[in-house]
Amino acid sequence: MDQKQISKEILLRMVKSFTENEVAPYDMEIDQTRSYVNELLDKIKKYDFLSTMLPEEYGGAGFDGETTAAMINEIARGNASLGVTLEGHFKSIDQIVKYGNQALKDEYLPQAKSRIIAFSMTEPSGGSNPLGITSHAEKKGDEWVINGDKIMITNGGLAEIYCVMVKTAPKELSFFVVDKDMEGFEYGKQENFLGLTGVPVGEIVMNNIEVDDNHLLGKVGMGKEIGDSAHNDARVLMGAVLTGIMEHELNIVTDYATHRKAMDTPIIQMQGIQRKVADIAVAKETTKLLYQKAAWLKDHHQDYEEEAAMAKAYGSRSAVKSGDDALQILGGYGYSLDYPVEHLIRDARAMEIAEGTVEKMRTAIALIEAKNRA
Amino acid sequence: MTVIKENWVFVETDLNKINPVTYELITKMKQISHDPVVAILIEKSDANLETELSEYGPDKILLVKDDELVDGDDLELTDALNKLIQKQGTPNTFIFPATVVGRSVAPRLQARLRTGLTADCLDLKFEDDLLVQTKPSYGDNIMCEITIPNHHPQMATARPNVFTAEKENNPALKIEEIDNLEWEKDTKLQIKSQVLPLKTSNDIAKAQRIVALGRGDKTEAGIGIANNLAKKLHATVGVTRPLTDLDQYTITEQIGQSGQTVAPDLLINLGISGAVQYTAGISNAKIVVSVNTDENAQIFKYSDYYFVGNALEFSKALEAIL
Amino acid sequence: MKIVVCIKQVPETTNVKINEKTKNIDRRGLGGVINSYDLHALETALEIKRNVGGEVITMTMGPDDFAVSLRETLALGADSSILLSDRAFAGADTLATGYVLGKAIKKIGDVDLVLLGQQSVDADTGQVGPIMAELLQIPQVTYANEVIAENNSLLIKRNLDNVAQEITAQLPLLLTVTDTINQPQYTNVVEITKSFAKPITTWHASELQLDDSRVGQAGSPTIVRSISSPEKAAKVGHKLTNDPREAAAELVAILKKQNILTEED
Repeated sequence: MDQKQISKEILLRMVKSFTENEVAPYDMEIDQTRSYVNELLDKIKKYDFLSTMLPEEYGGAGFDGETTAAMINEIARGNASLGVTLEGHFKSIDQIVKYGNQALKDEYLPQAKSRIIAFSMTEPSGGSNPLGITSHAEKKGDEWVINGDKIMITNGGLAEIYCVMVKTAPKELSFFVVDKDMEGFEYGKQENFLGLTGVPVGEIVMNNIEVDDNHLLGKVGMGKEIGDSAHNDARVLMGAVLTGIMEHELNIVTDYATHRKAMDTPIIQMQGIQRKVADIAVAKETTKLLYQKAAWLKDHHQDYEEEAAMAKAYGSRSAVKSGDDALQILGGYGYSLDYPVEHLIRDARAMEIAEGTVEKMRTAIALIEAKNRA
Repeated sequence: MTVIKENWVFVETDLNKINPVTYELITKMKQISHDPVVAILIEKSDANLETELSEYGPDKILLVKDDELVDGDDLELTDALNKLIQKQGTPNTFIFPATVVGRSVAPRLQARLRTGLTADCLDLKFEDDLLVQTKPSYGDNIMCEITIPNHHPQMATARPNVFTAEKENNPALKIEEIDNLEWEKDTKLQIKSQVLPLKTSNDIAKAQRIVALGRGDKTEAGIGIANNLAKKLHATVGVTRPLTDLDQYTITEQIGQSGQTVAPDLLINLGISGAVQYTAGISNAKIVVSVNTDENAQIFKYSDYYFVGNALEFSKALEAIL
Repeated sequence: MKIVVCIKQVPETTNVKINEKTKNIDRRGLGGVINSYDLHALETALEIKRNVGGEVITMTMGPDDFAVSLRETLALGADSSILLSDRAFAGADTLATGYVLGKAIKKIGDVDLVLLGQQSVDADTGQVGPIMAELLQIPQVTYANEVIAENNSLLIKRNLDNVAQEITAQLPLLLTVTDTINQPQYTNVVEITKSFAKPITTWHASELQLDDSRVGQAGSPTIVRSISSPEKAAKVGHKLTNDPREAAAELVAILKKQNILTEED
């Protein structure tokens, strides 16, 4: 085994044990209280989870995309929200590493170890249509002055550093990095979402925040490219979260169906149940292979946009469907708020929308297929 | 090396009391062997534990009265037992209880004698002079049959509460007192104090006894009587998921799939119906007793003993006679 | 203080089955982990190092891929590791294993404290520690659940089945610990990467001046004749009498007979 394989194995051993002991037992409580109970985030910081894929030169562990995704998969088996919180942080680091100037990297990447970074595009006036936004930055002397309102930010309110998309001209989108401690930065209202309730999703308001050129992520006008890149990175990791959800669903149904008896026979012996269980297993494995392939392509510097879109689109639809099957197998227990199945459906449902809707994924996949054919 | 056809059993004493596991081992060895069963007893010079020991019918007691050796550490006991073997000859077998003391001294003696030792046996039998030992591995998921064909003594530690002790009058019993063993003192370890511990563990996963409460017993009175019963039994209180809604219980006390997996010697289920989510957490419990008003409650299928009726009444009755 | 922690890599679950064809334990798809008790031993060593200073060396006997577990101990804070790996070690029982580990401790030299978990979760014997102590001719304290280190001695608390003991031990000493002694840390993610700067040394049989007759299968007095997976029989419940008072009395009598309740209860 080489260093890469050994470190991956050690990481996954740790994450497995951490998830079993610190995350999974609190899954229901996190869902119900809508917060990371049991000082979970302190532990996440203490053991440097936030630095998993941060490059070594900035104090990180430097794990590749494949290992990072496997780690998120493992955590999401215990609690999907925590997987998504990490996904939001990692995709932001990814963009700073990829597009940031050296001064920006030197300032913010070492902080990523203990401060969560969020990525923000959506505004009340538009989500999937980025040119509909109204936030803007104006150059005044050496400084950029940023104004606007960003909503539905994953980890909004929890994150301390934000990559924000603004207009620098009527048809020009650019990204800036702002800090919650900057003058003119304010938190707005928190969303009250159906699923992934552990993840805070909120609003930030920017009132004449002044930053220098170093805080520009990439170059002026690169907003669309950076946004697309962040989406791609997020979709790979969401595939991992969705795999984790389906593994959780599969655990619940296999355990239940082998113990629950009808007419003295465990219900797993019945064909109707078997069909559902098998479908969940196939969907889980397919999603896993999709995100793994996307991550592998990314690590090997090849195009991964299509595979990332497939992992998210197929994975989210399948996890909702699998959750519905699991609910049916468990019957009344499945429908009960005292058991975890119903919240897994709510959690998975979020990912049919976030980071690009399933419809948008299909468009992307179809157009890539058409282009490849042409 | 001459092997004497004897089965030796190490008598464990804790603060001048014989640990009853010793009697279980004596009875078992007498049942499976025609050769003499010899109890190795180390006691204080003014003690008389051999009287009590005799009731279980060993063929011989090798008695060492030594005030210092009674509190000897593992190294000193190893040396003394080795000297005893040098004096008496090598027995065919030498059995220790699988207690902390037995599991610590036996392997040390094994290394000194360079023979084999099987830990934690659940069964023992002979094929001629060969001791066939059944030991669990992988947390009791696997059973291994182990032998020590070419070395003596064939050593084993055997788990308490597996064999049943039976009293037996043995008129042929001989008590042989051994003096001047001249065992070597170990000055590097000093046992500063030995006391009877207070057994209080709140960790339900490790609790030896658990009284578990279910939805059917969720009233204030039910909780009160369960707590009293637990106190009497030195047991920990566990709950099913619905009871975690109450302020006093959290996931730490919850047994089952989304809570804790338990492995007590005794589990008493009060008002628990036996949903899979709960029973998944109790499959390692040794003795399960369940009380439920529903004659067809699922939980009875997971129980060694069950009472159909009111949990409150049963608990009160049980508490009263404990 | 120079501390050596002996660890064992074990299957990630003890819920194993026998393969019908090979009649051996089916390890397909089973990952390895560090024996959980040994993690408590390592944490004990690291705590002692934090309090009185010293060096923590971890060691294991096994095939080359057990180096993963040693690397994990380095990420957890150990200073260096030794892997004892040789075909000649295969088939060793506790006596032969203790012999090789003991020889390696001698080769390291000037070791003050040898630490192990109370037992491994696969073989469940707890014998290797005492065997090593005997071969090294040093005192032992097993099943410790509290340790306070002073410069040249340890204050140790342990529970026998019916007695609580407090012991002062001078060094050198061999100590085995329970899982209540401390709460092991998780591996820090960044430390995994950093651990590759620390050394793992491999020693083969030829480097340990071993007596061949005491190594591997030849040095193992015990023979495993057969293994089986016991079927956990479904419980056949015994119904207690209908009257609560009589039922309670009946139950207490049964439980006392089975030694589940004692005379004191």
